[in-house]
Amino acid sequence: MARFYVDGNSARFTRKDICLVDMELFGGEIVEDLEPRRLFPVSGRMKYITLLDSEGKEHAIIRDVETLSPESKEVILECLREYYLIPKITGLLERTEKFGILKWTVQTDRGVQQLRIRNRNSDIKQLYDGRSLVRDSNDNRYEIIDYRKLDKNSLKLLSADI
Amino acid sequence: MKVESVLTNKDVPEVIQNAFNECISPDEQLLFVVVGDLSLKAKYEQTALGVTGKGFMVYDPEREEPLKKYAHSDVADAKVKRMYGNARLRVNFKDGTHEDVFRFTYSVATLADMAANFIENIAAGKSEDEEYEVVCATYEKLMNVCPKCGRTLLHPGAECINCQSKGKIAKKLVKYIKPEVKTLVLCLILSALTTAVALAPPYMTGRLVDKVLPEKNRGALGWIVLALFGTYIFQHLIGALRGYLLRCSGDRIVLSLRNDVYKKAQSLPLGFYDKTSTGSVINRISGDTNTLQAFMLRISQEVVVQFFLGVGIIVIMLVLNWRLTLLSLIPVPLVVVGAKIFRRKIMPFYRRIWRRWAGVVSVLADSIPNIRVTKSFAGEERTVNKFKSYNQEWLNTDVSAAKIATVFPHIVSFCVTCGSLLIWSVGGNWVINGTGGLTTGLLVSFLSYASMFYGPVNFFAYLSDSYQQALSSAERVFDILDAEDEPDEAKGNCPPIKGKIEFKNVNFSFDRTKKVLSDVNITIEPGEIVGIVGTTGSGKSTLVNLLMRFYDQYEGEILVDGVNTKKIDLQYFRSQIGYVQQDPMMFSDTVYNNIAYGKPDAHVEEVIHAAEVANAHEFIARQPDGYDTMLGERGVGLSGGERQRVSIARAVLKNPALLIFDEATAAVDSETEHLIQEAIERLISGRTTLMIAHRLSTLRKANRIIVVDQGRIIENDTPEALMALKGKYYKLVQIQTMADQLAKSKQEENFE
Repeated sequence: MARFYVDGNSARFTRKDICLVDMELFGGEIVEDLEPRRLFPVSGRMKYITLLDSEGKEHAIIRDVETLSPESKEVILECLREYYLIPKITGLLERTEKFGILKWTVQTDRGVQQLRIRNRNSDIKQLYDGRSLVRDSNDNRYEIIDYRKLDKNSLKLLSADI
Repeated sequence: MKVESVLTNKDVPEVIQNAFNECISPDEQLLFVVVGDLSLKAKYEQTALGVTGKGFMVYDPEREEPLKKYAHSDVADAKVKRMYGNARLRVNFKDGTHEDVFRFTYSVATLADMAANFIENIAAGKSEDEEYEVVCATYEKLMNVCPKCGRTLLHPGAECINCQSKGKIAKKLVKYIKPEVKTLVLCLILSALTTAVALAPPYMTGRLVDKVLPEKNRGALGWIVLALFGTYIFQHLIGALRGYLLRCSGDRIVLSLRNDVYKKAQSLPLGFYDKTSTGSVINRISGDTNTLQAFMLRISQEVVVQFFLGVGIIVIMLVLNWRLTLLSLIPVPLVVVGAKIFRRKIMPFYRRIWRRWAGVVSVLADSIPNIRVTKSFAGEERTVNKFKSYNQEWLNTDVSAAKIATVFPHIVSFCVTCGSLLIWSVGGNWVINGTGGLTTGLLVSFLSYASMFYGPVNFFAYLSDSYQQALSSAERVFDILDAEDEPDEAKGNCPPIKGKIEFKNVNFSFDRTKKVLSDVNITIEPGEIVGIVGTTGSGKSTLVNLLMRFYDQYEGEILVDGVNTKKIDLQYFRSQIGYVQQDPMMFSDTVYNNIAYGKPDAHVEEVIHAAEVANAHEFIARQPDGYDTMLGERGVGLSGGERQRVSIARAVLKNPALLIFDEATAAVDSETEHLIQEAIERLISGRTTLMIAHRLSTLRKANRIIVVDQGRIIENDTPEALMALKGKYYKLVQIQTMADQLAKSKQEENFE
């Protein structure tokens, strides 16, 4: 079955709900209540956004959000911002380790948060571009955009774990 | 309804507590509070959802009006919408409007699920008392955590495995050293002897320089040379014996440690392997245990020997000349401080090196068993490049560590050399001036002792290096040894199993991000043959995984003959289940041993009978080596259908009470399917059987069909009733009949 890819101005998106959009195709066809989700939440955050209905059926894939009209782009980005909560860690304020469990107090773009990391080997993943992905004991995700650019104190605290 | 105290997951902040108190009418009581951590605008804030018998309140400081109250009677339904890293509680009201009332991270997702159910059920008129019982049970389960580390306990009052076993590393390692104590003590005595003997030559050299050579005493010269020869022979003979004993002892230590880690790895739950790569586990069993063995020997032997050697030398040096001794101690503080700095710098590197190395091993563990796939897709070059890049990463990290690891010892050596220069310049002047009571021979002896003294100093400086390496290895080894076993609270409870299976309100998610099974309620009577159908990823195999107790952290209950499966001895329970997978794994062993895997003491004829029942005997008999045919890791030498029949024979031999077929005929041709089908039909008679199948033809014997869709049971009835219902099952049958007809007509065309 051929997959329908949305490129450039081939479709217009309007916001329906916090995480839902309506898609109006160039030919006038309208598909309502679609949920935009990233196909590559880690590696390609602006590309290949799938549009799913309430049954989880895919109706289209947006190849690249950047190619959409400014209004449609904003609508999709708003939905994605609401759906994906991956706080960016901007600094490590405190680090303790007890009984093999790491406790970090971090400054994020969403405020200060305390998190517990059960296994530093599997819950802290370092990507090759300096990004680090962190998963806490509750399965919440965090991201360090580039750990090398953190302040000196954070780096010092992090050096034991990254 | 009256409750004694308000249930809550955390202390409710005063400002929220006051806001709730002001909002509650005198005739209602706060039942429970879920203290959240995220505002509706996705900022970390202390929020709360308070629920009473009449309504619920939400406090969100980011809103213009932080507190909002809603009545249960206005609610049509309440659902938790799970997103990525956060979730929302959405309430649909009877007037057709909806509102996202509460947003939270996964930390409180389970409580929010429970709150949504409570609100919806109370709104639907269900009993408040009964719903509150569910709330209490959820809180009790969630709050059932270790006060020290916050880890969820297996059951209320259970000892936290994590805290219980985290003592000092040395204490844990003592267990492995204990059986070798006698040998190690003997080695220590031998060491003490060689060390004591090693202290003699410098003294004799001093005598040679001061007395024997100036006096030209040839007799004494001969005796001293002979004595030196004797000490060297003694040192090396005893040294060799000690080395041999130590090696044997060390091998036994690592053997026992490795066995323990491997045994533990076998009893870990599947959840551990979902999160940990096999490469990293193999690395821990092979590499880390060796590092620990080397460290244990260093600690139990060298530390003692070097310590006493150091003390012995210092005493002799003090006796020879206390002022020169003080001079020679000058570099020691530098070495100690340097070691401390070194320790701090090198530790992160060791962890990084290990991670990189685990990456390399993971590539190996992935690519070598999949060599057929690699070759068939001409992926050799890609695999080699991937390996190279991981290897390069390891090299880069190791080289960075090497800079620190090699520079430091040289700094130490430099300090030590400077120390000997000090002794030469000061001591030499004393000899020339004839002051300080120092002779040439004494100075030479002293220099020999000083250089020997820096041996223990160096050793202790380097010890921090091997200590750091061992610490890093120990962390990972104990990560396995201290990990929680598959929970088996009911060891020894082995009730006879007839085969009634019940799933009661079962909910499950692998992590908290997505529910894989929701509200599953099924009852299967003994002897029933039940087909489980559904699209890929609908949760069919997860149902079976939960029944097999591969995952235990689910909500609700799974009962077999009315007994919770968690209350049945795990090994016994699994031994009562015959499990046939889609891609059966074969061990590198004979066909015979592969069939007899579940019953190693089976009689030969039982094994042959099992093979006959499974339609496997004929093809085995055709093999040149018959039942002695050796199979490779993945059953190399057998076709997919043959492997499947061997695995059915395995199940037949077990004579299980419950049978599970997970897509057993999905990967074979129609003729083989027929043979397998025949074998299955022989096997299932009288046994409760669950058959997961894509090919609905496999289910022709099933007297009930369960249709799973997105983790929910959407249809559950006889095949005839489901066909009449014209629901999902009907559609699946239609699609498959069409596909079969199409395939058949194509086949016919080809024949013509």
